Amino acid sequence: MTTVYEGMFLLDNQVVREDWKKAKSIVTDALEKHGAKVVCARRWDERKLAYPIRRRRRATFCLAYYEMGSEGITALRRDLELNENVLRYLMLAREGLPEGERELAAAEDAADFNAPTPPADDAPETHTPRRREDGEPEAGADEMGEAKAVPRDADLEEADASGKDE
Amino acid sequence: MASMRRPAAPPISGKFCDDPVLDYKDTDNLRRFLTAHGQILSRKRTGYCTQCQKQLKQAVKRARHLSLLPFVG
Repeated sequence: MTTVYEGMFLLDNQVVREDWKKAKSIVTDALEKHGAKVVCARRWDERKLAYPIRRRRRATFCLAYYEMGSEGITALRRDLELNENVLRYLMLAREGLPEGERELAAAEDAADFNAPTPPADDAPETHTPRRREDGEPEAGADEMGEAKAVPRDADLEEADASGKDE
Repeated sequence: MASMRRPAAPPISGKFCDDPVLDYKDTDNLRRFLTAHGQILSRKRTGYCTQCQKQLKQAVKRARHLSLLPFVG
C-alpha cells in the first residue's frame, strides 16, 4: 500500500549555486532509487537558518510530494543521512496533495524558470584565531593542539633540591 | 478583599480556537505563539484547547528541526 508523503529537504547552497536542477535531482534520484514515485518537487525557499547546520548559515529548502510504500523508508533515511548535500530532512505522511502544489511545481519545470542564486554570505564557518592590530596572535588565541609549557615533575624536584642546598 | 491579581491578557488565538491550520512552514504565524526566547506560550496565553495546543507544539517542533525556528532565542 502506498502513502503520499511530504518531504522537506535542506540542500547545501554550494550545490544549488552550481545548478538548481542538479540539486533537485539529488532529492528526486534518492526518492526514486527507493521506489518512490515523485508527484511534484519544487524549490520552496532559500533562507537564513535559525541555527547553523554543519557550519552552514543559509540553505535552500526543497519541498517534494511522493508516493511510496513503507518498506523503503528506512533505506531512504539512511541514504539521506549519508548524503553530504542534504543538510536535514523531514518526511511526513499526508492525506493528499495540497491544492495548487502541482501548479507551483509545473511552473518550475517551465523553460524560462530561473532559480534565484543564493547570496554569497553562506560560506562554511572556519575557525580563525583572533589577531591584534600588529599581526601577532593574542595570548588567549593559541592553537588548540599546542600545549603550553608545563613544568615537569623532574624539573620541580630539581628546584626543590636546589632550594634545600641553599 | 479585592483581588490583587493582574487581569489575564486576552488569548492570542481569539476567544475560541476553531480548528486552526498550523503548518510548520508557516513560521510567521507560529512566531505569534512563541516568547522572545523562542519558547512555546502556555495554553492560557494562546487560548487553544488541548488538541490545538498539541498541533501547535508539533508544528513548532517540526519547524525547529528544520532550523526555521530557533530552539532558544
